[in-house]
Amino acid sequence: MNESLLTGLARAALSSFVGTWGFALLLNAPKRAWLPAAAIDAVGYVLYWLLLRLGAGEPSAIFVAAMTASVLAQFCARKMRMIATIFVSLSIVSLVPGLGLYRCMELIGQGQNAAGLQAGALAMISILMIALGLAVGSFLFRVLFPKTRPSKCKEGVSR
Amino acid sequence: MSNKQSGCMAPLQLAGRLIMENGGETYRVEETITRMGRAFGLQEVESFAIPSGVFVSFRQENGELETAVMRVRKGSTDLTRVDAVNQVSRQVEAGALDCQGAMDALKTIEHHRARLSPLQLVLAAAVSSGGWALMFGGGFAEALVAILAAGISQLMSGAFQRRRLHGLVSVLAGSLLAALLPMVVNHAIWPLIVDATVAGALMPMLPGLAMTNAVQDTMRGDIVSGLSHGISALLTAAMVAGGALMAASLLRALTGGGFA
Repeated sequence: MNESLLTGLARAALSSFVGTWGFALLLNAPKRAWLPAAAIDAVGYVLYWLLLRLGAGEPSAIFVAAMTASVLAQFCARKMRMIATIFVSLSIVSLVPGLGLYRCMELIGQGQNAAGLQAGALAMISILMIALGLAVGSFLFRVLFPKTRPSKCKEGVSR
Repeated sequence: MSNKQSGCMAPLQLAGRLIMENGGETYRVEETITRMGRAFGLQEVESFAIPSGVFVSFRQENGELETAVMRVRKGSTDLTRVDAVNQVSRQVEAGALDCQGAMDALKTIEHHRARLSPLQLVLAAAVSSGGWALMFGGGFAEALVAILAAGISQLMSGAFQRRRLHGLVSVLAGSLLAALLPMVVNHAIWPLIVDATVAGALMPMLPGLAMTNAVQDTMRGDIVSGLSHGISALLTAAMVAGGALMAASLLRALTGGGFA
């Protein structure tokens, strides 16, 4: 592992963690969810970043990262007895293609409609991959960690 | 209707409205209402939620159906409130709260003031935008400018909310400011990676999360909610785009076309 990879990893982890931590405050998330949610988002983003570095395509990297974040988020929600929405919503914030959406707007504004639409289509594919990753992650979580006590789990957390 | 049942519609409606207003999903609204209703001992509890309204019905002991509709007006997202309503729902299911007890608890949640002050929200927006500017490939200067731009934008958004002008107008004005400041700094003071700075500053306003939720709603079969959320997200995106484009046009006009 060379230095630039390490620096890149640290940058990806720290920047996504800080971004999501601030966003958790903006969404008025419960205080005890701030750090775990930001940490899960950072894990997801680092995974996405690493997969891109390893040559994976953008959609597949986003799908794998969102799926992993979804499993971790639901696990955390169950352990902390909180609603899964909090962790799931925050765990994929950094994967949302903000830069892609901005470039789409910018290019269309400059009259480069074809390039703008291409950027917009890529951003939409990324959003679809996030949604798909979340859905598959939710399914995987139920398979990997089934509820063991049905009577108690009716009051369960990740409903 | 029996005395026991007479006060049970109000907490069901309030629980649904609080979840929907504060950013909860439609399936959570429906599930919470149904679970609470059954725990209250009501028969044939049904609920249907869309982003702008909640419908609840159950069968009374005399055999008649009681149905109520509640209009929902979207407020700002408050996940703590959604979580608190879910805690009340769990207590109801555990038998710890009856209809009146649940209503009292929900009213307390409804009237609970936001935990963060406007200044703290400004700081939160600023810090998160700084992080994202770094994440998009910016350096220290880009993060600093994104922090300033997002902070000013959030400050203005707060002022709009106090004057009940929030919503799309607030997003348009906020994105105009958030995009203009990095462009001006880049043009007049210090060269920046404008893409990273503006995207970082705009991230808190971008509806990427809403779009993802819209796709998820649709995939779950909630077509009406999916479409409603999707159109709302597209309108927000159009406002953000409009603000950013206006910023670029404004700067171009002011600099006589010298800004690229």
